[in-house]
Amino acid sequence: MSAPEPLAHSRDFPGTIEAAAEAEAWLMSHSGAWGLPEDTEFALNLCLEELFINAVRHGRANRATISIWAEADRVRLEFVDDGGPFDPGEAPAKRISGPTDDFEIGGFGAGLVQKFSRRLSYRRSDGYNRVLLEFGAARDANAGSEAPHTT
Amino acid sequence: MNINVIEADGGVTHVVLDGRFDIAGAQEADPRFSALAQSSGSVVVDLAKVSFIASLGVRTLMVSAKTLIRRGADMAVCGANENVEKVLRSTGFDEIVPLYPDFVSAAAWLTSRQAEFASKKP
Repeated sequence: MSAPEPLAHSRDFPGTIEAAAEAEAWLMSHSGAWGLPEDTEFALNLCLEELFINAVRHGRANRATISIWAEADRVRLEFVDDGGPFDPGEAPAKRISGPTDDFEIGGFGAGLVQKFSRRLSYRRSDGYNRVLLEFGAARDANAGSEAPHTT
Repeated sequence: MNINVIEADGGVTHVVLDGRFDIAGAQEADPRFSALAQSSGSVVVDLAKVSFIASLGVRTLMVSAKTLIRRGADMAVCGANENVEKVLRSTGFDEIVPLYPDFVSAAAWLTSRQAEFASKKP
């Protein structure tokens, strides 16, 4: 019998776009094994990509630590980076603006994180941004146990 | 992400994407889309087989749409699943590029736009 998939994971990544792509693959390998609803998996992946890219491109972060927890009816994602202060919950949710043939492109990340997460909290401490996101996830009753534990 | 470019009837280019439009997907798509936007006529981007998109992917599509529009061509998107459509609408992408359920309806819109444009020429 194979060991059950642990319900919490954490990993450090360097602050590069290549590492962000790696983090997406890392997240998918775990969220896939958890048997999450499709919408939850989509939202989790989307928010991770937006936070990571913002931290690298705008915050100039050198490193990021990502932690994920699956619980009975929710999944949480914590994103900690050492970039410039940035609260994705307070940043304006940008949309396309300007004329049809000369519209402005960019800055959509924070709005997407706000839209796709159920709860968002932010604090800045010791030179780090700490974003904690929560997603609803009515999980398959057969997948995993009820009590989360760390690896 | 696989990118398949099909020259369809009526001068419409059908771009079929298959896979995840994540960071890796956007890096693959960027050069293909920028080449297409500079050389092709109107384009239908078929997202029926795209399971994921985030703002980098939206950006790739927006930059191409802008180039096409400036050249007097258009872009339409078809087949987006519910989550992909939610991302496209959240960013306002659908205000620049219309979303259609399938290729046939998207191509019909592009063809009618071309006819409208031609009839207005002196």
